[in-house]
Amino acid sequence: MDPSAPARSRSISVEINGESVEYEVPARRLLVHFIRDDLGLTGTHVGCDTGNCGACTVLVDGVSVKSCMLLAVQADGSRIATVEGLAGNGELTALQRSFNEHHALQCGYCTPGMLMSATALLEQNPHPSEDEVRVAIQGNICRCTGYVNIVEAVVAAGEGTGA
Amino acid sequence: MTPSDSLSQGQGSTTVEVETGAPEVLEKGYIGQSIPRREDKRLVQGLGTFFDDVRRHGMGYVHFVRSPYAHAKIVSIDVSKALELDGVYGTLTGDEVAIHTDPFFEMSVEPGANIKDYALAVGRVRHTGEPVAAVCAATRELARDAADMVEVEYDPLPVLVDAEESLKDETVLHEDAGSNTVWSGIFDWGDVDQALADADHVVKIERLHFHRFSSTPLECAGALVEYDKGTAEWTLHCNHQMPGVGAIWMAPALRTGIDKLRFVTQDIGGGFGNKICLHPQYVVLCLMARKLGRPVQWTEWRTDQHTANAHGNERTFMDVEVGVMADGTMTGFKVRALDDCGAFPRYEPLGCIIWAQVTPGLYGWRNIRVDFTQVCTNKSPVSPNRGYSRMQHLWLTERIIDIVATELDLDPVEIRKKNYVKTEQMPYETPNGCVYDSGDYAAALDIALELIDHGSIEERRKDAAGRGKLLGFGIGSTLDSGTNNFGQSTLLNPELQFSGNNEAASVKLDIFGEVVVTLGTVPQGQGHETTAAQVVADILGCSPDQVNVRRGHDTWFNSHAGFSGTYASQFAFTGLGAVKGAAELVRDDMVQLAAAVLQAPVEAIELADGFARIKDGPEEAALPFMALGAIVNANNAFLPPDFNPTLNHRYVCRPYFGMVDTEKKTGQLTLTYATQIHAAVVEIDPETGVVDVVDYAAVDDCGVRINPMIVEGQVHGATTHALGAALSEEFVYDEEGTLLTSNFYDYHVPHALDMPPLKTGSMESPSPVAPLGAKGMGEGGGGGIHCVCAAIQDALSAAGKAIVYTSCNPPHRVWSMLQDPEPTRSNVSVVSK
Amino acid sequence: MLLREVDYARPATVDEAVSLLATHEGARPLAGGQTLVNVMKARAASPDVLVDLADLAELRTIGFSSDGLLEIGAMVTYTQLVGSSEVEVARPILAEVAATIADVQVRNRGTVGGNVCVSDPTNHLPPLLVVLDALFTIRGSGGERIISADEFFVGVYMTAVVEGELLTKISVPPASDTGDGFSGVTIGKHGTYVVDAAATVSSEGVRIAIGCVASTPVRATEMEERLAGGDFSEAAVREAAKGLGSSLDPPSDVHGSADYRRSLAETSAVRAVLQAAERRRS
Repeated sequence: MDPSAPARSRSISVEINGESVEYEVPARRLLVHFIRDDLGLTGTHVGCDTGNCGACTVLVDGVSVKSCMLLAVQADGSRIATVEGLAGNGELTALQRSFNEHHALQCGYCTPGMLMSATALLEQNPHPSEDEVRVAIQGNICRCTGYVNIVEAVVAAGEGTGA
Repeated sequence: MTPSDSLSQGQGSTTVEVETGAPEVLEKGYIGQSIPRREDKRLVQGLGTFFDDVRRHGMGYVHFVRSPYAHAKIVSIDVSKALELDGVYGTLTGDEVAIHTDPFFEMSVEPGANIKDYALAVGRVRHTGEPVAAVCAATRELARDAADMVEVEYDPLPVLVDAEESLKDETVLHEDAGSNTVWSGIFDWGDVDQALADADHVVKIERLHFHRFSSTPLECAGALVEYDKGTAEWTLHCNHQMPGVGAIWMAPALRTGIDKLRFVTQDIGGGFGNKICLHPQYVVLCLMARKLGRPVQWTEWRTDQHTANAHGNERTFMDVEVGVMADGTMTGFKVRALDDCGAFPRYEPLGCIIWAQVTPGLYGWRNIRVDFTQVCTNKSPVSPNRGYSRMQHLWLTERIIDIVATELDLDPVEIRKKNYVKTEQMPYETPNGCVYDSGDYAAALDIALELIDHGSIEERRKDAAGRGKLLGFGIGSTLDSGTNNFGQSTLLNPELQFSGNNEAASVKLDIFGEVVVTLGTVPQGQGHETTAAQVVADILGCSPDQVNVRRGHDTWFNSHAGFSGTYASQFAFTGLGAVKGAAELVRDDMVQLAAAVLQAPVEAIELADGFARIKDGPEEAALPFMALGAIVNANNAFLPPDFNPTLNHRYVCRPYFGMVDTEKKTGQLTLTYATQIHAAVVEIDPETGVVDVVDYAAVDDCGVRINPMIVEGQVHGATTHALGAALSEEFVYDEEGTLLTSNFYDYHVPHALDMPPLKTGSMESPSPVAPLGAKGMGEGGGGGIHCVCAAIQDALSAAGKAIVYTSCNPPHRVWSMLQDPEPTRSNVSVVSK
Repeated sequence: MLLREVDYARPATVDEAVSLLATHEGARPLAGGQTLVNVMKARAASPDVLVDLADLAELRTIGFSSDGLLEIGAMVTYTQLVGSSEVEVARPILAEVAATIADVQVRNRGTVGGNVCVSDPTNHLPPLLVVLDALFTIRGSGGERIISADEFFVGVYMTAVVEGELLTKISVPPASDTGDGFSGVTIGKHGTYVVDAAATVSSEGVRIAIGCVASTPVRATEMEERLAGGDFSEAAVREAAKGLGSSLDPPSDVHGSADYRRSLAETSAVRAVLQAAERRRS
């Protein structure tokens, strides 16, 4: 199929959490719905309908994006990382452990998005300051925690004290 | 009182231990420890199960067709084009709802009692976004497409977006009621007219307004509903936070038995009271599941939630008069309160009495009259938003204190300390018969003042002025009353058959020695699994890791009671009270069984380290839990016939209230009162009105803290909700009844960069009435709103002296108060002897 | 939340993209999608064809033209802008302002081209590019043309780019003996602007543009004239700003009345100019 000709649906190839997947998707399908409904990875959540809350944050080619603001077809050929891909063999990452130690989650709904934003930050900036953490999670709304413990948890993970 | 020696800087916390008489408080083992939560393991891996994560083969997706008008007659609905679309499974309209269901149970007296509230609009729409029809299709997108094809013809009617206009009944929303007034009554305790006559000063405030907002939980509402044709039972995989009450509404409407509705919740993404009134949409799903013969699922989108789910009560306070003596003692106040509950009451008119749990706020005045009216308007219906009804009233009392202090030139700290109920007076009976169980408001205030470095305020004010900013300092005292007496509803409607409260839990010891706990509550992030495990571990003498707490709520666990749910800041009392009761029954079984097996007297047996053993006995005289479980479940023949331990108990915690007095409108409306004292320092940019919170402290006293870390997390969350409400979150309507703040752009909630430096402090005044000495907490009482309003008013005292009259003060409103303070000032007057 | 059916194409070259846009009525270019996808979710607009510009590498570069203009490809993201050493050297205000747009996720996808082509009055870049005297290169099937900032922004959601055309780059003069300033009030930190003002102070004088008060950025020409003398003391700047508010007819909405916006316009203009003057000095 000629990718430059307009089409109502498209077969896309993505690498998701290290696994290669090929799937036929309608052009109108949002990436978050592709991830949740088509691939069954329900860790990525939907919290709003105007791209503000960040609950849907995933990494696309290493960079944090809101998956409700991308069409699945736009992710063709990309590497996608979701929260399910963080813990390898059930071993939580230092960041996930730090969230637990610092009580950085209550209802857990914003948590996957927070973790992906924080993971992207720590990959670029292994020892972020409190302000840098706040900037990194500015696009992730939490209605339970007031962000206090989340910031603490990410800073601690960066200092290696979250281990 | 033993003051702590450690007050930490920055985002620290301080603990002051306060000893008062407390009932049987368990010897603390795991209780009182900040154990990390077990819920986190699945949640940090994205392995939580929220309702939208649940799938069923052949399921259909539902989209609601919603009214674009705030008030209109429905002339016709034509679903034929929608049905023609490939992949559409079916539709439902109000006509069908009116045939197959009865209107929902109304709690008010007449005329409110006559309101007909159906699952879909029948004949008329009364708020924008009201569901008019539902479409079910094979995919979410198709359901959405099909919804666009449903043709609805409307005949617009005049719109009411103002409660005072609504009172006039010129346009009536509910013809069956004949009036927009849902409920009206006067509460009169003591003798306020005499108090005002005797007072040295009477401060009058014409008008204060508590605005409309809500907690907007990040996960929207929804459910996946299955209907079993063979048993005529429905299963709702959902996020309803009070299923006991949800079923009470839904079963009669669906003309079915309560046990035919099975509510299953697992993980819930926040509730805050906004997931209590989901029954209309759920009834639609039940009807469609039955009609279409397949599971149906509905996900609410953010715009729908803001527009048409649940707002907090909007309340206007008018003609306030406060009596003050020369020495600053406040003797009483009267007020006219007008509550706007939106298009349908639903959980209302309970808001018309719930505030009375905290009638005098934290203060000792004995003469209070409240003339309370609630009306319907063409706005979204309300539901018990975090702090429900007490928050509005406490805001009133704090505004009164600050305005009195301003007008009479009294210090806001001193006037509070003078008028606070004193710790020596606890337990303190309020003018309307509520009993404040324990607390030391003055001590909590001192902690807050220290955290905020109150002594340096004037210096910081000068420094700010040098930078062109107006600095202000404010206090917000508040109470988080918990464990509701549902009998208070009879003060509104004596015909209602409600009183008391209850919560259930089950604990069992399985055959392999696993302890299993089932809760009746419906947690949405409050850490119930972890705290329940802590309590059970202490009672059974094992580690919390040996205790498995089942996730969520399931009707079929049969571990719930009529009022089950997570609301009204009561888990620590009723939820854990039920867990304690059930665990103690299991403990008694274990002790007696061990005594029988080890041939020792019952008093000689202790449960510790995962064993039942003889105290100070030989090592062999110890039975692991597995042994006890095995005996009862698989190897019980040797037990004597009259001894039948089950190791499996369901316990109902029924707090004792006594009956209320419907004539005097008094009674014990709630059992515990957690204190929160907040203090804020703000800097205002006088040219733009932008308010910067530069320092903030919140001090919490909820009695014994089962898990201090979890308690502190709740304080953070409640404070953030309050800050959002105080500075930006507002549901604003235009004259046509269109909601102008229906998404997170316009309805701005705090993000990480918006947060002030937040310091917390705590003290523990154990509750003499709660099973574990632990009061309910979590809602918070809106302390942040009270103190930010106070701080803004203090800041403006240097530039026009405007009086803060409304609870939400975004930059444009602060700017207006700076430009033209006069209208706010003329709102207030003082008559002195 | 859920889009209508749409056709999607992903051309490999700019010429292919232009051809698709010209051939299909109702075709819209898809850049970062941080506005367009939202609009389509709300069903406020539903293009028939989306032409995804993602593979057009030539639109993602930042560099200098032969005559020293900073050239920013239309598909350059805010994150790229913020991290660009070329931008830092030539015109750092662009990175400074871009760093406050929304949040990291939006900045990772959102593009400068998208920001200007949407021409939403509350967008950050339009008033800034107006005072920077930027040039906009537009390519159509007939060739290329270059438009000034004053002509580029035509109205709300309307620019000089017509159907069948594509904005390919924005060119900005490097700062030399120039100070740039930007000030305003947002809805929450890094939120949408209620009113904003951009200003540059150079040897040629001062340029001031106010955003959010009209369908396109408004040049505060009277204020610019009053400051032609070069006195940028606070008193002089405040004096020069008088009357700016009453010359405007801003909207009234939930976030402020027209009068509030008039006042903010004056305050923001003053602050932006003072900031620009201060930076020019240092």
